[in-house]
Amino acid sequence: MKKKFLAVLLSAGILFSGCGGDNKKTEDKTAFTYGTMAYGVAMENVGTNPHESYSGWSTLRYGIGETLFKFNEKMQLESWIAENFEQVDEFTVKIKIKDNVVFSNGKKVDGLAVKKCLDDLIKNHDRAPKDLKISSIEADGQFVTIKSSEKVPALLNYLSDPYGCIIDVDEGVKDKIVIGTGPYKAVKVTDTQIDLVKNENYWGEVKPKLEKIVVKSITDGDTLTMAMQNGELDAVQGLPYSSLKLFENEKYKISQSDTSRIYQAAFNFKTPELQDLNVRKAISMAIDKENFTKVLLNGNGTPAVGPFPANLSFGDNEVHAVNFDLEGAKNLLTESGWKDSDGDGYVDKNGKNLELKYLTYTSRQELPLLAESAQASLKKIGIKLNVNATDNYKTFLKSGDYDIFSKAIVTAPTGDPEYYFTSHIVSGAVDNAGFYDSAEISQLENELHNTFGAENRSALAIKMSQKILDDCALFYASHLKMSFVMKNNVEGFTAHPSDYYEIRPELEKK
Amino acid sequence: MSSRYRPLIPYLILAGSLIFVAVFAEFLTPYDPYAQNLENALNAPNEKNLLGTDRYGRDVLSRVIIGSQTTIFSALLLLLTISIFGSFIGAVCGFKGGKLDIFLMRLSDVFLAFPQMVFAIAAAGALGGGLFNAAAALAVIGWPKYARISRGLVLTIREMPYMNAAKMAGTSSAGILFHHVFPNIAGPVLVTAALDIGTIIMELAGLSFLGLGAMPPTAEWGAMMNNGRSMLQTASWVILAPGTAIFITVAVFNLLGDKLRDVLDVRGKKS
Repeated sequence: MKKKFLAVLLSAGILFSGCGGDNKKTEDKTAFTYGTMAYGVAMENVGTNPHESYSGWSTLRYGIGETLFKFNEKMQLESWIAENFEQVDEFTVKIKIKDNVVFSNGKKVDGLAVKKCLDDLIKNHDRAPKDLKISSIEADGQFVTIKSSEKVPALLNYLSDPYGCIIDVDEGVKDKIVIGTGPYKAVKVTDTQIDLVKNENYWGEVKPKLEKIVVKSITDGDTLTMAMQNGELDAVQGLPYSSLKLFENEKYKISQSDTSRIYQAAFNFKTPELQDLNVRKAISMAIDKENFTKVLLNGNGTPAVGPFPANLSFGDNEVHAVNFDLEGAKNLLTESGWKDSDGDGYVDKNGKNLELKYLTYTSRQELPLLAESAQASLKKIGIKLNVNATDNYKTFLKSGDYDIFSKAIVTAPTGDPEYYFTSHIVSGAVDNAGFYDSAEISQLENELHNTFGAENRSALAIKMSQKILDDCALFYASHLKMSFVMKNNVEGFTAHPSDYYEIRPELEKK
Repeated sequence: MSSRYRPLIPYLILAGSLIFVAVFAEFLTPYDPYAQNLENALNAPNEKNLLGTDRYGRDVLSRVIIGSQTTIFSALLLLLTISIFGSFIGAVCGFKGGKLDIFLMRLSDVFLAFPQMVFAIAAAGALGGGLFNAAAALAVIGWPKYARISRGLVLTIREMPYMNAAKMAGTSSAGILFHHVFPNIAGPVLVTAALDIGTIIMELAGLSFLGLGAMPPTAEWGAMMNNGRSMLQTASWVILAPGTAIFITVAVFNLLGDKLRDVLDVRGKKS
């Protein structure tokens, strides 16, 4: 017995010796360590070559590269590397490059450099050629003239996507490192970390203030929380919502911004039960978005109506969806002949319970929460939801073994609505997981594709969003708010609605 | 009951009450353990919810109580399966010998060579999670221990005079196994099993903690701890309650196993 007591004491000692410790070292004001959940192989963004998958996000986020135009807080375009542009005709745009922009190797950025970069982009990238539809690029001094094979009204938006970072292609890609025009340059890039140093040749008015930045990929929420708490990191992105509370004090600062990232779920139209509008509507009505956002996301989001957040002109203020109403949902099911005839708590028809498979993944920590809350809500109206939350979800998507697929997605990464419709909604789109097929949507998309002018495009996008909501083809739960947490001596680090401007020259430690 | 068994009584009472809670869990829960009420999420322990509520507003006490069913029953069922299956294999091997013995024992060597938890994680991962799959993974790796023990015991009693007497009396192999072999190896196997309950509970809860066992919304202690993991600093009751439940249960069953071994004096008898 004594031995056991000793063992307990010893193990308790070991446990507690891990806590505490003195972390007060003299702080280097020119070095910055940044922990992020958003960098890694799973996110398909390792490396800094923007012409490869989603790596451009890393190039832009970590201040290595810059695009021709950038987005303001309202996701409207402003000049960046480019000074201005001229829409020559519906197929041609002429862009003037600023005179003073140089790559981090000191080389001047001119029309030819941009042409070479865009040529390389179209040759190598998977999404860019489909978005841009460029037929030819001509360079003349500081001008580039881009001709597209068909009308691309959102061309400049697409060019401002992270894949549009302008890099010096003559230098090539060495050990995942590219030469960009940003305030910092990469010196070492691995799958879990990026080491950056100041770009001494930075062209912008504000010069970078830090000597060295380390971007660390930490994909476990608790590890990230604790690393921030014990002072290893100067700033973090992607903390679990439940941890944010720990940093709401004078030692830290939090910067938040609404983004167009949404939690949505698509109904599989191949499932016979879901071909009935009443069933889809009933499910949409049973989702308690308010409480999901308020409680499970700890208020770090906005309950969604449609796919786009309210800060966009074609966003949630312009569309309407069914309201949370359990009784109404039950009535709809009854109307369609679903009744609980055997008293097991689930509605049935022809002796079969209404049982659905809900597929989602866990790398976005909020998705399983949505799944579990949907499961409980749907039980109240007699629908049995079997949740399959697995990071192996692509296998299930391929095999079609799901009735509802829920995911998180940035709906307007370039401030333009068309991308969302062409990638997720129109019939045959790569990510149209529900096999939703609407003639009206196809016709509207066709129209959108040929319409210039932000206002006209907004009007069409509103019509399309409303059509999706009327059909209850998907339900939209919540728009995510993104947060940066930083030590209180960090300045110039603010969250942006685009989700891809992070490290800027303004960043410093006081 | 002779005085020899007296030290067992307190532990039997403790283990008995745990099993009582598990059996009558449905009647003991103050609230529906699966009813979500987001308005009441993450309430600290109070007079209405003695152990507080989790992030979905479910009563933690109710979930811990109903979770005892999942955790204890699946562990006991699993243990029963592997101890019976394992000892049967071992007894047959020891009794029959020959090629069958060599084959099965080498097979058990292969399984014994794997670190138990690592194998279970790999197997449960490959099978795709779920409490049943997790238990199956643990069963696959767990039986050789019992096979080894019972085979060893059978080898020592095989040449006993009463065995020869039974053989000469014309008793069939099955008859000998059931009437003479099993009763004689039951004691040590029982003690091993009793000592194993704690380990099995830990392993099942461990797999659930890793997301390879019980699936949401099933109330299972390991899964509950995993769900509350990110709230350790902000709402510690969510993780402490199931954690304490695991601690108490494992401690009680381990102490019971220890005492049982002392009382039956298995080691002493053999040496």
